[in-house]
Amino acid sequence: MQTVAEQPSAIRRYYEGLAEGVFRAIRCQACGKHTFPPTGCCEHCGSWKVEPVELSGEGTLLFATHNIFPACHPRFEKIAPYVYGHIRLKEGPIVQAIVLGVQATPADLGRLFERGPVPVTAEALPMDDLPVLAFRIHD
Amino acid sequence: MANKLRERTVISGVGCSRFGDLLETPELKGLSIQELTAGAVKEALDDAGLTGQDVDAVFAGNAMVHSSQVPGTYSQLSKWTGTQFKAGVHFEAQCSTTNVGAALAAMSVAAGVYDTVLVYGLETTRTMVKGYSPYEREPISHQQTWLWTDMAVNQAYGVPQGYDIFSTYNGLVALGYCRKYGMSIEDFDRGMFELCRTRRLHGSMNRKANIQEKLEDRAAREGFSDAFDYWRSDKHNPFVAWPSRLLSLVTTADGASAMVITRADLAKGGKSQPVELKGFGISYSDLPWYGEDPTFWEFDKRAIDAAFDMAGIRASDIDYLHTHDCSHISGICTAETIGYLEPGKGLAAAREGRLRFDGDRPMSTHGGRHAFGHAWGASAGTDTYEAVLQMRGQAGARQIAKRPEISVIHTHGYAMIGTVVVLGSI
Repeated sequence: MQTVAEQPSAIRRYYEGLAEGVFRAIRCQACGKHTFPPTGCCEHCGSWKVEPVELSGEGTLLFATHNIFPACHPRFEKIAPYVYGHIRLKEGPIVQAIVLGVQATPADLGRLFERGPVPVTAEALPMDDLPVLAFRIHD
Repeated sequence: MANKLRERTVISGVGCSRFGDLLETPELKGLSIQELTAGAVKEALDDAGLTGQDVDAVFAGNAMVHSSQVPGTYSQLSKWTGTQFKAGVHFEAQCSTTNVGAALAAMSVAAGVYDTVLVYGLETTRTMVKGYSPYEREPISHQQTWLWTDMAVNQAYGVPQGYDIFSTYNGLVALGYCRKYGMSIEDFDRGMFELCRTRRLHGSMNRKANIQEKLEDRAAREGFSDAFDYWRSDKHNPFVAWPSRLLSLVTTADGASAMVITRADLAKGGKSQPVELKGFGISYSDLPWYGEDPTFWEFDKRAIDAAFDMAGIRASDIDYLHTHDCSHISGICTAETIGYLEPGKGLAAAREGRLRFDGDRPMSTHGGRHAFGHAWGASAGTDTYEAVLQMRGQAGARQIAKRPEISVIHTHGYAMIGTVVVLGSI
C-alpha cells in the first residue's frame, strides 16, 4: 500500500513549536513586517514572499481584563475565569492571549491597570489537548 | 474603485418580527422558524405593496445554521414567502448579514440586473431544533451558543487559545477608553449605567423589543430603591470582563427581519414612503480587531469613509445613528470614530440624556442589541427597520421630534466585517 506523505501545515507547526516554547511567525520579504501567528502570506501587504522566523516571546502588556465565567469553550472550563490581555510584541505584532501572574479579580486587575504597561514573556500553557500561548508578567 | 451606485435605489418596504424566545415570548411562542420568517417577509412585502411574485430575486440571510437548520434557505422558505421560481441565494455576513444583503441588493438593482430584490434574515440564538422534530424546539445553552457563534472567529489561533468575546469586545476596549481619555473606572461605570438605562428606556417603548422593562423598574422589582445600586450588584450585574458588566452586553434572541430594495422610479406612488439607500461601506478584518489603541478600529474607519463617500455626506449631516452595540462601549467608540459624538465624550452624552430619542444625538431608538435583542443574521435588518420608521415618522412614542433626513446604520458582522449603510429621505 502506498504511503501518502502528509503536507506541511503552518497551524500544526505553530502548535508543535509552541509545545517546545518556540514562537513561530513569518516575516515578509517585501515589506519586512511580521505576521503572528503564521499564515502563508503577509497580513500587511498581501505578498506571498514570506520566510519563517521565530519571535523572542518578549512583549509589553498594554491592558488586561478577564474572560466570562463559565468559559465559552470547554477547553478553558478548568481555568476560568482567567486573565486575558492585549500585548504588543517586541517585534511589532499585537496579540491577545491569556496572562499569567495576576488574579482575575477587579482589585488585582485594577492595580495592574494603574501600573500601566508592563513587560511580559511568552510561554506555553499546557492544556489537556493543546498547548496554549500565554504571557507571564515579570515580577 | 468608482464607489458609486449608478441608479438611485430605495428601500420600499420593511418588516421585522418581535425579538425574543420561540419557547416563551408572547407573540413568538410556538412559532416555527418558517412562520417567524414569513411574518417579517409579509410585513415588508405588504409595506411595499407587493407580493413575493413581484420581486426578481431573494437574498436569504442566516448565519448560525446549527440552530436554524435551514440551509438552502431561499428554497426552504420559498413556499412560505410566495417567492418560488425567483433567483435566490443563501448568504451570511454574521451580524451584518441583512445590511450586507441590502448593499448586495442595491448593487444588483443599480447595475440593472434586477428591478426589485427581497432581502431577509432569520436567526435563532435562544432555541434550536429539538431532536429531529420539524416543529419542536429546545433551549440552547450559553456555552453552545458561543461555541457555534465563535465558529465565525479565527479557528486556527484565536478561539483555540482562549479568545473570549467578552474580553476582546468589552473589557479591553473599556480599559483602552479609560486610559486614552483619563476616565476613572467609577466614572466609566456610571456612564455605562446611563447608557444601559437609555437603551432599556427605548426597549420599553417598543412592542417588538426582547426586553421591554426599564432598568429602574427591573431594579425596583428586585428590591432596589436606587437603580445604580442594582447596577453595581454582583448578584444581578456581575463583571463579565472587568470593568464591563453583564448589562452592557447583547441579549440573545430569536427573530427575523426583511426589506424590499427597488429602483427609485419604481417606488414612486407606492404604498409606503420609500427611503433612499444612498451609500454603503464594507470592510473586514481578522483578530486582533485593533492595534495598540482598542478604541480605534481600522476596518470600521474604512467602511465609514467608503459609505460617506458613496452617499456624499459628512458626519455633521447625520440625524440618527445606530452603531453595533453587542458591546455598549464598542458602540460608543464607533459613534466617536464616525464623528457623531465627540471623542471621549460619548459616555458624558449618555449621562446627559443626549442619546435618548428626545435628545440631540439620538441613537439606537429601538433599544439596540441589549434591549431589542440580538438574532445575529436578522439584527441589522431591525436597525434599518427602525431607521426607516423614524424617517417616515412612524416610530410612535419613541419618535424623534424632527424626523431624521439622514440616518446611518453601522453593524459588526463577526469577526469582523464593519458595515455602514447611509439612508436618506426622498
